[in-house]
Amino acid sequence: MGLAFLDRDRSIAPSGYSRWLVPPAALAIHLSIGQVYAFSVFKNPLLALHGADGSAWNLKEIGYIFSIAIAFLGISAALFGAWLERAGPRRAMFYAAICFGAGFFIASLGASTHSLALIYLGYGVIGGIGLGLGYISPVSTLIKWFPDRPGLATGLAIMGFGGGAMIGGPLASNLMAHFKNAGQPSIPYTMMTMGALYFIFMMFGVFTIRVPQPDWKPAGWVPSTKHAALISTHNVAVTEAWKTPQFWLLWVMLFVNVTAGIGILEQAAPMIQDLFKGKITPVAAVGFVGILSIFNMAGRFLWASVSDFIGRKGTYFTFFVLGAILYFFLPFARQDKINSVPLFVAIAALVISMYGGGFATIPAYLKDLFGGFNVSAIHGRLLTAWSAAGIIGPLIVNGILDHYVENKMPKEDAYPLILHIMCGLLVIGFIANLLVRAVDEKYWLKDQNVVVPAGAAH
Amino acid sequence: MADPNTTKTSSPILIAAAWAIVIIPTAWGLNYTMQNALKLFTSTATPATAQQSPK
Repeated sequence: MGLAFLDRDRSIAPSGYSRWLVPPAALAIHLSIGQVYAFSVFKNPLLALHGADGSAWNLKEIGYIFSIAIAFLGISAALFGAWLERAGPRRAMFYAAICFGAGFFIASLGASTHSLALIYLGYGVIGGIGLGLGYISPVSTLIKWFPDRPGLATGLAIMGFGGGAMIGGPLASNLMAHFKNAGQPSIPYTMMTMGALYFIFMMFGVFTIRVPQPDWKPAGWVPSTKHAALISTHNVAVTEAWKTPQFWLLWVMLFVNVTAGIGILEQAAPMIQDLFKGKITPVAAVGFVGILSIFNMAGRFLWASVSDFIGRKGTYFTFFVLGAILYFFLPFARQDKINSVPLFVAIAALVISMYGGGFATIPAYLKDLFGGFNVSAIHGRLLTAWSAAGIIGPLIVNGILDHYVENKMPKEDAYPLILHIMCGLLVIGFIANLLVRAVDEKYWLKDQNVVVPAGAAH
Repeated sequence: MADPNTTKTSSPILIAAAWAIVIIPTAWGLNYTMQNALKLFTSTATPATAQQSPK
């Protein structure tokens, strides 16, 4: 078969293969699919497109493209996680590259023919499936290559998802400007070019990824004989994992952490302009969004790496305690209180670093609790919390803002309420994290003992 | 396990090249974003409209 090179057996690393070749493979995938966070650069150009009959799309209709993509990310991650465990990361990455690249091409056709349905199908559904497959595909492989530092390894990959928008945004803007100046259809040509470029870049990941040999371990690394309270000595199958209270506690934790982050990210530019009226220009507000992007990316790597030393529970304890305090005090930095832009930006940046850190630390938390056997599949199912937060978060934020605007109340007064609701949500996450205990023996996979990684005690 | 004396290990050049493939576009995007981020501190409204006494 022509695609036999994708088989798990064909991707087993030869002896001497450096594990430091694996993070670039994972990053190639995550830097590509992270483009989804920069989809907003297409919003205004799509709004300006007109069909043959003069019809145009509205903002709400265009907004659904991103929502569909994120929904299908969660759905495909949940559905295909167990298949990925059998098929291996290389095949999953290959299909992710095909779906993500083809999504752009179909969306390009939709832009050419002014068919929103084709854009929904292409970028939303097919591209979204590529997002889900790509997001979970390198996670368990990285954990196997870095049993001594699983947080650092998954943090490196998932940092790429945060950084993808920093590449995808300017890439799309520059390509659209180029094609426009050349007198060519800017959106369709840009989408086709990006689809091709991302496919090639993701194929670098496909060809570079390797799974370690079953008996492989890092040179000189001796698994700890000390058993930390939460680190599992046994594996739990995905079919059992989601029946455990631990899975649902982590689901709640990811859900509240993401919802709280969306509370700021959803309205970052208008929020800082409303809270510092006349002081922050629209251009400066874009700068604020840029700072949040950088901290979102950096937080993924830094917090996940820190979790290798202070433990996953300790890291989430920090997110929920420090995060709740910061969310509570953030509105007090505004113009009619402390009136400090640097303080506001510093608090918001720290909060967003923890939003990113939550994404990057959760795979290692799952590995601690359920072992590495089915961690991709379990991670895939847990990502439904992200999809749920992607719906609930904007509903809370936009619902409150609409209420204030419709009742002619000052919009800037809505933000403290929104941020204090997010503070309350983090308190719920704090309680959920406190309740996490080791997985009960009845859920263990029989005869699948694993070594205990030398991680931090919880 | 294979004999470490006969095992072919990954070339450091190959490892560096693999990292360069992902770092170069990331650095380009980071630079672009940093340029935008700096506008927060260089592009502010005039003090006359900005100054309000805190309550």
